Amino acid sequence: MMKLYKRYVDVLTLHDRYGNLIPKVMIWDNGMEYPIDRVLEIRKSASQVGGCGILYRCRIAGVERNLFLERTRWFIESAKP
Amino acid sequence: MQERVILHSDINHCYAQIEEMRHPELRKIPMAVGGHEEARHGIILAKNDMAKAYHIKTGESLREAYAKCPQLKIIHPDYEAYMYYTEQVKDIYRAYTDKVESFGLDEAWIDLTQSISLFGSGKAIAQEIQKRVWQEIGLSVSIGVSYNKIFAKLGSDMQKPMGLVEIRKDNYQTLVWPLPVEDLFYVGRATKKKLRYYGIDTIGDLANLSKGWMKDHFGKMGELIWWFANGEDISEVALSGAKEPVKSVGNAITAPRDINTFEEAKIIYYVLVESVASRMRDSGLRGNVISISLRNKELSWFSRQRKIMQATNIAQEIMLVVLQLLKENYTFEQPLRTIGVSVSGIEDDQALTQLNLFTSEEERQRQKQLEISIDQIRNRFGFAKVRRCVTLLTPDLSEFNPKEEHVIHPVSFF
Repeated sequence: MMKLYKRYVDVLTLHDRYGNLIPKVMIWDNGMEYPIDRVLEIRKSASQVGGCGILYRCRIAGVERNLFLERTRWFIESAKP
Repeated sequence: MQERVILHSDINHCYAQIEEMRHPELRKIPMAVGGHEEARHGIILAKNDMAKAYHIKTGESLREAYAKCPQLKIIHPDYEAYMYYTEQVKDIYRAYTDKVESFGLDEAWIDLTQSISLFGSGKAIAQEIQKRVWQEIGLSVSIGVSYNKIFAKLGSDMQKPMGLVEIRKDNYQTLVWPLPVEDLFYVGRATKKKLRYYGIDTIGDLANLSKGWMKDHFGKMGELIWWFANGEDISEVALSGAKEPVKSVGNAITAPRDINTFEEAKIIYYVLVESVASRMRDSGLRGNVISISLRNKELSWFSRQRKIMQATNIAQEIMLVVLQLLKENYTFEQPLRTIGVSVSGIEDDQALTQLNLFTSEEERQRQKQLEISIDQIRNRFGFAKVRRCVTLLTPDLSEFNPKEEHVIHPVSFF
């Protein structure tokens, strides 16, 4: 299995009129913005890189990644350290 | 009555496991959650399995722990996080019933009697809870399933981690009775010693005695533990959010250094008593039984109490009794490490009072008003803005605000 790293990231979100919270853009340390193509699944989950929260399974730039809302901040199970 | 279905769920070495969940790399090294060595709250609160292999014990000092395992990693406790994550776990329990009674942060009883027709048997729900807590929060819980609270709790202690033990009416004699008698609720050090004296070693030994004999030799509590041993515990699982009426208000502190003299103890007691009195006034309560508890360097506890004529929440009055008790009961041959005070015999502060011929009620009210004013000043400008001169003598002992820096106390079963 690929080794994954816990990386806290900035996320731009849409809080829609029905009360849903949808991550739209993830911003990496260097300022690079990665649009989130699609949210595939939302559920509570523990993460293999530590911590737990609400898992947003997303497709980002064509690849599937797990984005977590951990209490008040977001982290990603990143392939890059 | 329909046979009840009660779960007792226990988050396995709770604080340590939450730290491991947040930081998985800690699973690979011996680790324990413990207090700050410098501030002398230096004890192990929880440890992981690798630390357990070094025979690290909960409650021992950091120094003892390092002696057994020099590479032990100590994590300072993050109570706010522990409260958050344990609440998340309890939210999962509450998805199955409204009867979830917490017992400390890490344990809870769950009454599923009314839920089994909706969600399946007690054991099935227990398995589902375990699976969900593991997948959603990343924590393992051990669960005991039984028809009363006492056996459910014994069941959750039997297998760890992620244990699941069902204690039924047809198997409790094989599962529960061989256990040592001190595993039972309300069998403490003293009772255990006395039971051993009579040759009662296991819960089964106790259960097979006659109820009358237990009552004669151990009083009302003896009868109670006899019922427990026979699975006849009928206490209810409280509804979620149900609050017990307050039975006592107290505060204890482990001083940053040893307390060597009566004068030093007195200084700390001023701070503690003021906080207890202030908390009672905040909740509109007063009490007429004042007790002090002391623990020396050898970590042996004892407490003494005294009943007073008029229930009070005036610090000055409580302090008088505290000093009497301290003077009569401790000689300071050994330095003290932890001291505490609590007030029980609680009643409403607005209740009618039998006036005392020999004290001036006017004077009492004036004193109370003074203390309320001090509370108000402290609330507005900070705790240290008004303080007793005596606390300036030894700032290293008295610079703490017990009212805000609150300690989480273990709760009692009743």
